[in-house]
Amino acid sequence: MNQVSFIGEYMNNPEWTEITLKESYARWQDMVAWGVEFYKYDDGEYVWWPPRPPEMLAKFPMQSIRMVQRKHAEVCRSQATKTGVNILDRVMIADLLKQDGKVVGAIGFSIESHDLYIIKAKATIMSAGASAFKPNGTPLHVITGDGEAMAYRVGAEITGKEWNDCHPSRAEFPAWQWSPRKNLSTSKKDDFGGLPSKVNAEGDLFADGQSVTLYIEDVHEADAGRAPVYWQFGSGTADYHDLVAGPEGLPRNQLDLDAEQEGKVRMVVGSSLGMSVHNTEGIWPINTKCATSIPGLYAAGDSLGARPAGARYPNMGFSTAYCSATGTRAGVAAAEYALQTKKPIVNEEEQMRVKKILYAPIERQGGFTPGWVTQILQNTMMPYWVLYVKHGERLQATLKQIEFMRDRIVPKLTAKDAHELRLAHETKNMILGAEMKLRASLFRTESRGTHYREDYPLRDDPDWLAWVKIKEEQGEMKLHKEPIPEKWWPDLSKSYEERYPLRFPRE
Amino acid sequence: MAIERIDPKLCNGCGICVNSCMLDVIRMDEENEKATIRYPEDCMMCYFCEQDCPEDAITISEAKNSPLVVSWG
Repeated sequence: MNQVSFIGEYMNNPEWTEITLKESYARWQDMVAWGVEFYKYDDGEYVWWPPRPPEMLAKFPMQSIRMVQRKHAEVCRSQATKTGVNILDRVMIADLLKQDGKVVGAIGFSIESHDLYIIKAKATIMSAGASAFKPNGTPLHVITGDGEAMAYRVGAEITGKEWNDCHPSRAEFPAWQWSPRKNLSTSKKDDFGGLPSKVNAEGDLFADGQSVTLYIEDVHEADAGRAPVYWQFGSGTADYHDLVAGPEGLPRNQLDLDAEQEGKVRMVVGSSLGMSVHNTEGIWPINTKCATSIPGLYAAGDSLGARPAGARYPNMGFSTAYCSATGTRAGVAAAEYALQTKKPIVNEEEQMRVKKILYAPIERQGGFTPGWVTQILQNTMMPYWVLYVKHGERLQATLKQIEFMRDRIVPKLTAKDAHELRLAHETKNMILGAEMKLRASLFRTESRGTHYREDYPLRDDPDWLAWVKIKEEQGEMKLHKEPIPEKWWPDLSKSYEERYPLRFPRE
Repeated sequence: MAIERIDPKLCNGCGICVNSCMLDVIRMDEENEKATIRYPEDCMMCYFCEQDCPEDAITISEAKNSPLVVSWG
């Protein structure tokens, strides 16, 4: 609990942190009973991640075990089917249906045939992941913030857009992310490896791999003109496996061989462009049952902005724990709500309204392709000086671009087939997400965690011991400050340096 | 290039790769009942199709070429 608050710079909601930490244990037991596998060492003990030496574990005790990649999805799908869940494959849900102030279902289309799907529901759980701008590589390239955008359009509140996830890519091939092909090394139990240390172009060590940082130091090295930056590893260590090894534990290509020989890889931030600290961002819940401000709409997983983490992501695996805990909570609460609710009768007018929006890109004769618009959006938002090293003037300038795209480009998005229709809706949602990120970044007039503003370079207690909520009001995006209860504040009698020992790179 | 090739001689038309792809890059060719690369620009190089193909028919390269930026498109 203390580690999360400290690293998250007091922007977490400790009630949800506790729910995540406590309830994920029961969810892990569920998954093991269903057949989900977790990595173990050869002697049968679980692989705890990230590997850390004992002296660091004493200060930062949080570690997680990791599911064997992909198999968990098959197991969970099978378990859902066994319990009678009807799964619609290859269907994009594009919008929620709302009637008499309540969410009464959703509307979507087949990405193969563009056939219409209208789902009428007593209760709906939004669980469509986090928000990003289709960044490079696996798995974040699939993230476009659709769930958040759908919820926003029916009047739900959104939070946490000013924070950043700062995952880097391999500079030589930016679609690399976290080695999707590799498996964890399970043979070197005592090889802590730690996190990679980092050096800049001048050969200076700027992160030792053993100390916790705000995880934005790479960007500041680039901003200071000391790029490229390199991550160093020891051959055979866990970080070596993360950075260069393939599924058999060996380098995969010449670039990997070169990296292995040099003991370092060139990294560049951007593989999570547009993503906030997941589970700090998302749809604002009004209670611990995952209900939103819109009756009939619940949220779970990375779509739910319950803020168990704060202004910086606390530990690998934390979000999986949160997703499993909130999935169960939302499922139970939505079922209880459905039991007390009559089957909705969705009027024809609402169905026609949403259907018209749904198919507009494919019925348009001319306009802009979603592929091109997405590329322009990425080029607008990707430079480090927009979202990573922020300044009010640059945020305003970028917002002008995004507003133009919102008003003049989105209404002219085209689609030649059902595949592109999906891309068109994703693109529309990403532009909405970009506007949220820029406005939230302008609104929070301080620096904290992964939100760094050159024009407001310090944390501002107690004024900004607050969360930011975004909501559509009369067609406009409005932002509000939600004060954090004083019981969760840091000790304000301590000095600034004592409250915030993690320094911004130039602080 | 990301996904480069599905070898029609090796492909047995099982369709596993179609379901493996989260981004709808691969479709079944209805005429010859083989998997075909329909939307290569959307490949995110997850390698799932390559891993799942029972016939090792799929080739993926490490590099991904982005299209050049133009004034409209």
